[in-house]
Amino acid sequence: MTGQRIEFRWWHEVVLLGLLVALLLIAESRIPGFVSFRSQLFLSRHLWEFAILATAMTLIIISGGIDLSVGSAMGLCAVAFGICFQFSGSLSISAIVCLLTGLLGGLFNGVLIAHFRLHPLIVTLATFAAFRGIAEGISQGQSYSQFGDAFSQLARGTWFSVPIPGFIFAFLACSSALLLAKTPPGRFLYAIGHNPQAARFSGVPVGRIRVGLYAWSGLLAGLATLIYVSRFDTAKADAGKGFELDVITAVVVGGTSIFGGRGTIIGTTLGLLLIHETRLFVGRYWRTDELKSIVVGLLLIASVLIYRLLTKRDEVSKL
Amino acid sequence: MVVAVASFVGAFDSNFWAVGNLRDLLVRSAPTAIVACGLMLVIVTAEIDISVGSLMALTAAAMGIMISENQWALSMWVGIPATLLLGTSIGLTTGLLVTVGRVPSIIVTLGLLTALRGATTLLMGGQNIDGLPASLSQITKQGIVGVPLSIWVAGLVITSTAFLIAWTPLGRRIFALGSSRYAAHMSGLSERRLKLFVFAYTGFLTALATIVDVPRLPKIESGIGMEFELLVVTCVVVGGVSITGGKGTLRGVILAVILMTMIRPVLTFMEIGEEGEKWTKAIQGAFIAVAVIGDSLLRSTKNTESLE
Repeated sequence: MTGQRIEFRWWHEVVLLGLLVALLLIAESRIPGFVSFRSQLFLSRHLWEFAILATAMTLIIISGGIDLSVGSAMGLCAVAFGICFQFSGSLSISAIVCLLTGLLGGLFNGVLIAHFRLHPLIVTLATFAAFRGIAEGISQGQSYSQFGDAFSQLARGTWFSVPIPGFIFAFLACSSALLLAKTPPGRFLYAIGHNPQAARFSGVPVGRIRVGLYAWSGLLAGLATLIYVSRFDTAKADAGKGFELDVITAVVVGGTSIFGGRGTIIGTTLGLLLIHETRLFVGRYWRTDELKSIVVGLLLIASVLIYRLLTKRDEVSKL
Repeated sequence: MVVAVASFVGAFDSNFWAVGNLRDLLVRSAPTAIVACGLMLVIVTAEIDISVGSLMALTAAAMGIMISENQWALSMWVGIPATLLLGTSIGLTTGLLVTVGRVPSIIVTLGLLTALRGATTLLMGGQNIDGLPASLSQITKQGIVGVPLSIWVAGLVITSTAFLIAWTPLGRRIFALGSSRYAAHMSGLSERRLKLFVFAYTGFLTALATIVDVPRLPKIESGIGMEFELLVVTCVVVGGVSITGGKGTLRGVILAVILMTMIRPVLTFMEIGEEGEKWTKAIQGAFIAVAVIGDSLLRSTKNTESLE
């Protein structure tokens, strides 16, 4: 720590919040009724899987890693769930198998990264292709459906008019935020992200933490799959295609450094909301889908560019 | 190792070595090889570019609109240089954002991956482009002296990149920068200019790959180049280029490109048929895993002092 001057730590979050409020004000003035509680909840249906994955992705990126395989892991989990349901007919067994598949996939990533000292980008690139490939190979393009009404309540049901996945996300976000801010393992993540070598020499169990992180990410991919499958009532190998990029985008827009060592769950939540609202607004105002991806892509670059231009040059020295 | 695998699968079926099949294989691997030459240099400088697939789509759309007989119907000699210019300038923009803007390259190119894809669909307005000049499709299919254009171009690009790496100061400096940024800085190398070059070069080569490959297709769709970036990155990594920079050979990369392109035809030849093709991605993933684990095991036995 430099120690000379205490900086305001939350300014990135404040800027995000400002942008979000500005966006919502503009949106409300252009499309009346845009910000009403009902329409927001109705439009948020697609957000929850991303949000759940983003809590784990934030932890991973803070530790200096990355997980490109979450979307493909969802495909694999969906196929595992579908096949298991076809044979057993039991929802609970299938759900457990689905979660276990995610956990094992994540564990595989973690072991390769921690024990073989391989770059996370490469490992998860390999499993990105492999998980999707295995899912496609096993299912041969077949899709599984008709899991019953009870199961579809997982994604469609509501408590106090808020969808159930919203509560799951809220729980995960709060516990991850507490973990990061208040517990030793959480603080270790920042240490690993800053300098893994120094963390190891300080007695931080770097390897074990990394394995745990990726396993956790895989487990949440399994959970996100359950919600995804429940919403569409279809389990297919293409579940979660392209999710990894959207999730990483949200985390990075939320102020988490891609090099590790910096980031918060609140930032990620704001990043998620900002991207989500931008998409909604652009999609509804100009009525084109193409413009959405251009705006989100530029938003990602701009958010980091502005941060870089505002911060001092000394961060360059991090070689 | 790559050679061993290649000859092993080749020995499986004598038909595999038929000239037509071999030519088909080379044509399919040509665009990957062309772009891999550029991306390899990017990765050698410890940066990354995951936007090449979307850039390929954008340049294809731009080229189509410019020279298609149903659209602007410009001359090929205007359209092709303009396409190359577009590719190069987008590569240059990436480079500027990375060096002057100090935005990590994975972020810039992740943003461009989405943005360029969106721009492509917007540009094409939901319609496919056809009516490319017959002379262009002719030359890309039939080629010069019986060898398709893309193979000529790929050969040329590989040779010049090999020359660049081995014989020019520029090439040596790129490797120097990748192996130690600090040392390169201290020896007075301009990190900014070198990185601008590698990104612009990759942009240029992506446009070039589009020009020689896309006219083979009956029409241009907005889905061109989907997941192409992952294929190219995979090839470069399987080819033994270190993601942390400074290490790698062009030889390895080119062999990896051929190996990766071979997976699908080999699966067909081994008569697993339709069912087998679905496993293509799983095998690709397994190859990356095997290549990097093998590399890491070899490294740890050779020298115990890890650079991590």
